[in-house]
Amino acid sequence: MSVDGLREELVTLLPRLRRFARVLARNVHDADDLVQTAIERALAHAGQLRTGAPVAGWMFGILRNAWIDEQRARGRRTALLAPAESGENVADPSRGEPADSLAVQDAVARLPQEQRLAVALVLVEGLSYKEAAHVMEVPIGTLTSRLARAREALQAMLGERNGA
Amino acid sequence: MTFSNETLSAYADGELDAATAAAVEAAMANDLQIAQRIAEYRALQARLQQAFAPVLAEPVPERLLASARGAPARQRPSNVSALQPRPRARWSWPQWGAMAASLVIGVLFGPLLLRSPTGNTPIDTRGGQMLAHGTLERALSEQLASTQPAAAPVQIGVSFRARSGAYCRTFVMHDESQLAGLACRGRSAWRVETLTRSDSGPAGAGLRPAGSALPPAVARTLDELIAGEPLDAAGEAAARAGGWNR
Repeated sequence: MSVDGLREELVTLLPRLRRFARVLARNVHDADDLVQTAIERALAHAGQLRTGAPVAGWMFGILRNAWIDEQRARGRRTALLAPAESGENVADPSRGEPADSLAVQDAVARLPQEQRLAVALVLVEGLSYKEAAHVMEVPIGTLTSRLARAREALQAMLGERNGA
Repeated sequence: MTFSNETLSAYADGELDAATAAAVEAAMANDLQIAQRIAEYRALQARLQQAFAPVLAEPVPERLLASARGAPARQRPSNVSALQPRPRARWSWPQWGAMAASLVIGVLFGPLLLRSPTGNTPIDTRGGQMLAHGTLERALSEQLASTQPAAAPVQIGVSFRARSGAYCRTFVMHDESQLAGLACRGRSAWRVETLTRSDSGPAGAGLRPAGSALPPAVARTLDELIAGEPLDAAGEAAARAGGWNR
């Protein structure tokens, strides 16, 4: 795909990329940093994307990799320093969101990485299992079981029957 | 018959093969617990969607737009009108220069709502377009800005004719979603052209009906689409009487 064509698609995708990143990183600034990194990497590799290929899935994959890289780097940093506030899961309290949204975001932030990814891709972004498994580079069976475990964990944390 | 969490979770997502899905449905008819677990999975998904949907309506930070576009994002010229003659001087909403790069969400909500399990959303997605649905659809078709009750869950703002000839109306939803937007009447449905959060707009500028402040993104779309002047009360009533047909 041409860089110009990709740029147009990226502008259109930005709100979804920001949402996806927010499910992963929660903190607005960290999430937007991830989006920025993903855009830069995507533009550097625009040639790898076939014309007509779904840009969204490709971008989710790049963003996922950027997140995993970032988590690793953060792990190295916090291993060297004291186990201080990681900052990753800090919500911005000024946003005035409904209490239920904050509770849900908190619960998602406590999921293990791979489960959080599955939730972000399937339950928030609406990808099919096949698409999500492709982004996560795992077999569909693995994705299916991560998703089921994530649901159980979320329901246990949110502690309500029938949602609200 | 018992099913694993994985099977029921995949059923809730519409990801089972037909035979297994039929087996789940048959079991569901006799076992309320299965039905309840699936209902819980879907309710959870609805809460997840709701928790993260507002991100879509946030203005995209300038630095991200600039990265994606590869050049400093262009701001709408508010003080260089000599270079770009403004077409409709008489009807001019304030120029929200700094906000110019914020987005028109229109095409983006599609994937978000495709899986919405509740059927209770104000927006429906078909063929990549956002269509008004439920209370929003009814308000757009039936409510008159001049007579609507202040407590109506959807407040209609400005009604006008677009340059395409279609009737368009701005709206603000007074519920948890705080959505505001602009919809234009197509052949059989209201197409939502812009959707944003209503709490982001500064007040100001006359002509704006009380109680329905128009967020900048909506004001901008209105400014781009409108032909002539907004409809007055009589024009609005006549358009409704004509079924909002061109």
